Amino acid sequence: MSEEKKESERQSLPSEDDKTRRDFLQDMGAAALLGAAALMTGSDEAQAKTTWAEWFQKNYRLMTDEEKKEAIVRVIEMEKGKFMAENMDKGYPNSTGESYGIQVGGNAYNLAGVTLEGQHYYEAESVPRKDAFYFPIQCQQCEKPPCVKVCPVRATYRDPDGIVVIDYNWCIGCRMCMAACPYWARRFNWGDPNLPKEEMNPKTHYLGNRPRMRGMVEKCTFCVQRTRHGRYPACVEVCPAGVRKFGNLLDPESEIRKILERKRVFRLKADLNTFPKFFYFID
Amino acid sequence: MSIIRFAIDFVKYVLTGGIRYYVWLGILGILIVPWAYGAYQQLIAHGMIVAGFTDQISWAIYEGNFIFLVGVAAAAVTVVFPYYVYKYKPLKDVVLIGEMLAITAVIMVIIFIVFHMGRPDRAWHMIPVIGIFNWPNSMLAWDVLVIYGYLFLNFVCGFYNMHQTYTGRPINEMFYKTFIYIAIMWAPSIHIVTAFLLNTMPARPMWFHSIMPIKFLSTAFAAGPALIIATLLIIRKRTDLKIPDEAINFLSQVMLWCLGIAIILTFSEVVTELYPSTEHADQLKYALFGLHGMTKIVPWLWASWIIMICSFLLLLIPGIRKNYNILPVICVVMFIGIWIEKGIALVIPGMVPSPIGEIAEYSPTWIEIFITIGNWAIGLAIFTFLVKGAIGVMTGEVRHPNFDNRNASQGGH
Amino acid sequence: MFLNRNIIGIITTFLIIAALHGCGDTKSVPKAKEAEAAAPVTDCFESREGYTSVQRVENVVPEYGYPNVKCSQATTGVLWWGDPFYDTVPMGDMPIVDDETRGDYAIAEAVVKPRESKLMYFNMEPTKHCAFCHNGKMVPFPKDKKPRLLAAHQDIVGNSLQLMHGRAAFWCLDCHNATNRNRLIDHKGNDISFNQPQKLCGKCHGEVYIDWRLGIHGKRIGSWTKEGKKRWWVCTECHNPHTVQILRYNPIKPEPPPILPKGTKNGDHEITKGKETPLAGH
Ligand code: SF4
Ligand code: SF4
Repeated sequence: MSEEKKESERQSLPSEDDKTRRDFLQDMGAAALLGAAALMTGSDEAQAKTTWAEWFQKNYRLMTDEEKKEAIVRVIEMEKGKFMAENMDKGYPNSTGESYGIQVGGNAYNLAGVTLEGQHYYEAESVPRKDAFYFPIQCQQCEKPPCVKVCPVRATYRDPDGIVVIDYNWCIGCRMCMAACPYWARRFNWGDPNLPKEEMNPKTHYLGNRPRMRGMVEKCTFCVQRTRHGRYPACVEVCPAGVRKFGNLLDPESEIRKILERKRVFRLKADLNTFPKFFYFID
Repeated sequence: MSIIRFAIDFVKYVLTGGIRYYVWLGILGILIVPWAYGAYQQLIAHGMIVAGFTDQISWAIYEGNFIFLVGVAAAAVTVVFPYYVYKYKPLKDVVLIGEMLAITAVIMVIIFIVFHMGRPDRAWHMIPVIGIFNWPNSMLAWDVLVIYGYLFLNFVCGFYNMHQTYTGRPINEMFYKTFIYIAIMWAPSIHIVTAFLLNTMPARPMWFHSIMPIKFLSTAFAAGPALIIATLLIIRKRTDLKIPDEAINFLSQVMLWCLGIAIILTFSEVVTELYPSTEHADQLKYALFGLHGMTKIVPWLWASWIIMICSFLLLLIPGIRKNYNILPVICVVMFIGIWIEKGIALVIPGMVPSPIGEIAEYSPTWIEIFITIGNWAIGLAIFTFLVKGAIGVMTGEVRHPNFDNRNASQGGH
Repeated sequence: MFLNRNIIGIITTFLIIAALHGCGDTKSVPKAKEAEAAAPVTDCFESREGYTSVQRVENVVPEYGYPNVKCSQATTGVLWWGDPFYDTVPMGDMPIVDDETRGDYAIAEAVVKPRESKLMYFNMEPTKHCAFCHNGKMVPFPKDKKPRLLAAHQDIVGNSLQLMHGRAAFWCLDCHNATNRNRLIDHKGNDISFNQPQKLCGKCHGEVYIDWRLGIHGKRIGSWTKEGKKRWWVCTECHNPHTVQILRYNPIKPEPPPILPKGTKNGDHEITKGKETPLAGH
């Protein structure tokens, strides 16, 4: 009860009630006030004391509730007339059990964001798992591919249709490209290929899915052996949810251009300026 | 035809020596046996699958040694430069040793690269005209260029000098000095370009630091003189070549201050990474503390730092620096410390976590270790031969039968 | 002498330490994999387990010896189509939307897998199908569309008063033709085949329908080119209209996760951390 009373007293401080003000001021740290008294002229003593106390006040975060109230009152006192300081919020206790955030656009709240250097694996019984954000990564067929730039023998190059391919017979296995690729899209054939013959696709391409010898690098080719004959890449076809789309970026009517037009699209690690041609969209 | 005679005499001299000499070569020879086994397994029988690489950690110990040795090669400039540019006389006989060290280190670099490559048999693809040399785009192409160029320059300088001393003919100053000055300018470039090889890859945040070239140079100019000092002290003990104390003291000063700079640069790098502690610091954190319980690199990194700092502090004390019983011990330990820093604690953490966040551990297989030790044995053997031959020439033990005495006094450098 | 012994000693010690530290696990040289030819899975599903079943047929494309599909050993899901058009029928007429959402790629030859053959009750009677029972006599035609508790088909709709579609705004007979149970029906009373559910679903789900027509929602296989023939997946191949409100897409068993990188013990760092404090990231 008495707390409430005090409170109301203090809120009425900006009024002309001199006595209340003096009471209040006497609550303040004595040492500071003595200094103030010595420095300031008597006529404006109250004002001086307030200034002095303000100069000596603690960091807001470390104040007790009592001190916070006093600090607020001081601000009201000192700023009076400059703006409507008396309306200042006196609700000092901050909120616990809440955590504020702003979300702009359609991206779902998720844990991982699109930074990648953490650890990202799943061991789920079934998918999609609630709250999970799946992020398949493969060769992004960069428009300015660092892998091509670093290759000392031009074993890897960008074909005119934009697919970055590797001449498996020209690669010397230096693995510069593996280190330079920001998407970790390249793999090395450490040993001889050992896939059983029956599992091999008989339809192959020199730059694509033919068996690769040991000691050289390979990567995704967007299934050149399929796409150059008009067939969707295998990854696009296999996705049971139809999430992957493929098409001609130069044709405004193609599926992929329609997505760029209609959906919220982003590219992974766009800051690296490799201009990936692999887009992520959120529906 | 004095060249052929020189070659024959040089080789003859190099292959003869005392019992200690043969024991030393014998030890190195024994190390070649497991090397041959490993080389067969990796290069011929099974491919790189017998080594400890994974797709996550696709560069490892061979690449690390390569980087370290490029530094050692570049460090020859720490004796050549003061001698030719500042005419610092005490280094007169050391210059040739430096050049031999450079030749050896570059040869070792090439050997390590052969083992690093998946298809060394296709190396001819790099040769311009018959192959494709992706220059100036590829930093590796630059590196090949500067490394082979450096080998050529040092070979010409070193052997031209020795040949003239051997025959007693005067040195053609125009020709020789031109090469020497080019070599001096060339030397830092090999290590700078090697640093560019790594630090031009934003995919690997730990390497993506503009500090790397200068840090490479400073560590190299600490490790290289360390090796030269150790060699010089052995030469003083075992041969007739007189190495003045000033030469050694000078080199230990160079070593000391380059080490100091290296420590500052390492420290700057750590602060820059760990203070904001972004995701890009994960690789350094992996090296320093381990990630998700994977800590294989941690003891190595700390060991190398402790070695570097302790060596620095000890070398600061003139009494220790000038004590030729303790100095070589510090030199060898520091050499190893820097080797760990370059060979293990630099390359592998750049691969972990991978650009998409995969954390893997690397452990070399026995085959990799055999090959690495064997490569070093080969390198030490080459170095022994070259240095022995060079000393023979300098002390006049290897000499043309028609040695021209008129110029003998001004022979040498 | 003293100094040399020291140096050699240090080098040796170092090499031993290096060797001991490094050689935890020596990789053995793998032999060429024995072709342990496990029998191929023949009973597969395409996108919804139990609703889009397909049988593997060998040598459908004799040129390459392709089967019609190859299926996962782990999940029995189809992983690869040897012949994307095997067992399909023309999609039938679809209105072309004549504005910017037209979708030029939708004019190519389009085929679908008929849905009717996958419906259990539909095929209980081979000729009259649903109408065998729902003929007005055996099961009388309902008088109105008012929701009421159904005693039958509870395997499809557990509680007909709480249909998991439309949030109580509509009911079975808004989609199922009351007098011709072999067909669907739209709000105008148009008769729609079970094979063309898109005609019905698109009436309400316009945005998604446009996306689907443009090829950016749902799945198509075959040719990606403008003129190329495509097989389209229709709505009910992926979504179960009776449960869609709580289950947009039936969860399926994933393929086994990739082999963990060397040294990594489990793949759940992110999950455990996330559970403790969702804001902390990792
Ligand atoms: S994702 Fe990697 S491999 Fe693919 S093009 Fe880009 S840099 Fe090259
Ligand atoms: S590994 Fe092959 S493709 Fe990659 S950079 Fe080296 S030579 Fe080029």
